[in-house]
Amino acid sequence: MAGSKGGLVGLFKRGGSQNDRKTVTFGDASAVRSLPMYSLLALLGLVFFWYLATQPFGFPDDFKATVDETFQVAADDAEVRNQERIDSGNPNLIEIPFLDPTQRDYLAACAQAPDDQCSSSDYSQFLSPSKFPSPGDTWVAFNRLRTRGFQNETLAGHAGISLWRVIRGMFWGTLIGVPIGFAMGLSSRLRGLFDTPVELFRPIPPLALLPLFIVWFGIGDGTAVRLLIFASVWIMIIAARAGARTVKLSKVRAAYSLGASKSQVLRRVILPNALPELFTGVRVALGVSWGTLVAAELVGASSGLGSMIFTARNNLRLDVVVVGVIVIAVIGVLMDLIMRFAESKLIPWRGKG
Amino acid sequence: MKALSVSNVGMIYDIPGGESVEALKDVSFDLEAGRLLTLLGPSGCGKTTLLNIVAGFLAPTTGTVLMEGEQITKPGRDRGMVFQQGALFEWLSVADNISFGPRMNKKRKAEYAPRVEELLEIVGLGGFADKQVYELSGGMQQRVALARCLANDPDMILMDEPLGALDALTREKMQGLILNIWKETGKTIILVTHSVEEALYLGDRLFVMAPRPGRIQRDYTLPFAEQGLTADARELKLSPEFAEKKEEILNMIWEMEEQIMGTGA
Repeated sequence: MAGSKGGLVGLFKRGGSQNDRKTVTFGDASAVRSLPMYSLLALLGLVFFWYLATQPFGFPDDFKATVDETFQVAADDAEVRNQERIDSGNPNLIEIPFLDPTQRDYLAACAQAPDDQCSSSDYSQFLSPSKFPSPGDTWVAFNRLRTRGFQNETLAGHAGISLWRVIRGMFWGTLIGVPIGFAMGLSSRLRGLFDTPVELFRPIPPLALLPLFIVWFGIGDGTAVRLLIFASVWIMIIAARAGARTVKLSKVRAAYSLGASKSQVLRRVILPNALPELFTGVRVALGVSWGTLVAAELVGASSGLGSMIFTARNNLRLDVVVVGVIVIAVIGVLMDLIMRFAESKLIPWRGKG
Repeated sequence: MKALSVSNVGMIYDIPGGESVEALKDVSFDLEAGRLLTLLGPSGCGKTTLLNIVAGFLAPTTGTVLMEGEQITKPGRDRGMVFQQGALFEWLSVADNISFGPRMNKKRKAEYAPRVEELLEIVGLGGFADKQVYELSGGMQQRVALARCLANDPDMILMDEPLGALDALTREKMQGLILNIWKETGKTIILVTHSVEEALYLGDRLFVMAPRPGRIQRDYTLPFAEQGLTADARELKLSPEFAEKKEEILNMIWEMEEQIMGTGA
């Protein structure tokens, strides 16, 4: 019996011994969970669709041989040229061909063929390489970015610069926001004092301030980090304010009658009690910061993933753009996963009070 | 000297709309050290307000509350509180919850650690020291709350419906525990409850309170708590004397409720 649940099939079935015995599960939210195999299936589906959409079709058979041959020659030439550049000690000048090699060579073949043998209908794709690179090209570009880099930085370098900016922005945003939020949650006077600026500044999209910040702080880290402080601080203020207010009166009173002083109540009761809200705040702020940063780097910085994408676009290097976009998405997902893991380790009591 | 001396205490709350509610009016009583006083009455009779005034969380509008001759103005560790539920600190283990008071008062670990062990045994939670409080059942959590309060060695223990959220069986067991702790420590206890049976069984003194304005309607001195220390709880609760008192008090509260409905409508 138990054995039938294992194996490949088991990964596609609604799991959990309790759910197996339920007769009615539609509308039972506790019986619905995300089955991991379907998530994997969706991912493979996305990549497959991408592959199909960038695959050439309607290509005459006799041309293929010619093109393959021409392509081989062109690729060999390119390798030789690249090697020369590496030998000359100037690897940054190395080009990654942005055209699909097949298409490039087809065009080369076209140039030599008589007009009536070569028309645009012979070669077509849903997404042409000039609009969207194929998975293969993207993989090649990824590997080149990883090893040789772009814009004087490797891919990891750009990602690291972006991440470090987010970490600094979040650090200061939290450091400034949490005390203000607590003050607002704990004192009527300070609540009144801070309410106006918080409500006024909070709705401003951080990117709206980017032009000002560039003028004040120039292009680079200064602008990026300050913009991220601006993006995260309001979120952390609201989170801390909510956290300070969720403390049960009976907990505070229990602490006082156990002999705790005001500062002990703050540090030993209100602060730990607010941790779940603060954590939610950090998660939200991290997501917002990451999005804001990449947009800010497009114009406000000369390094980082956003800047890499922007420069690549200017050079029509769409393969680099796509690699950048994917890396941004993956880092965003990873950050959230790490936060969720940290949350389960650091505040296991969440939702169980 | 009386452990607690409450004289002419009144409490008026202002409510939005310019009205005010007289939660307590002219409440006076003395309580000797080592008594177990239960407060019983319909909602709005001011029993929790009275407890909060004794705890020092609220300052009465009129009157004074003296403990050992000194006026109560703020909460202090001479008066321990046990709340209904959810007043434990979820981020701390069972042992850390219990040692919270001593730690806040800058006691050294060597001083309080043995006492924490001892208290765990007393409340029947030996071996649970390192558990997290959210892993415990409601009854066990209240045992922790009791131990946490005892760790500070207060002169008086104030309980605000401590067993209110427990199921009937757990509740009976906990009543026995409270009686035992009362007897063994000799502490003065004031316990607010909604249950007539609980008030009768636990209280060696019992105030039936009446609402609008909140006041003490009847002041009973009862033998059941003392008997409950030796006799079987179930038999005691089935005895004619117990049943008779229970009936009397139920009628009294029933009449109050009727009156409220009558004047309120």
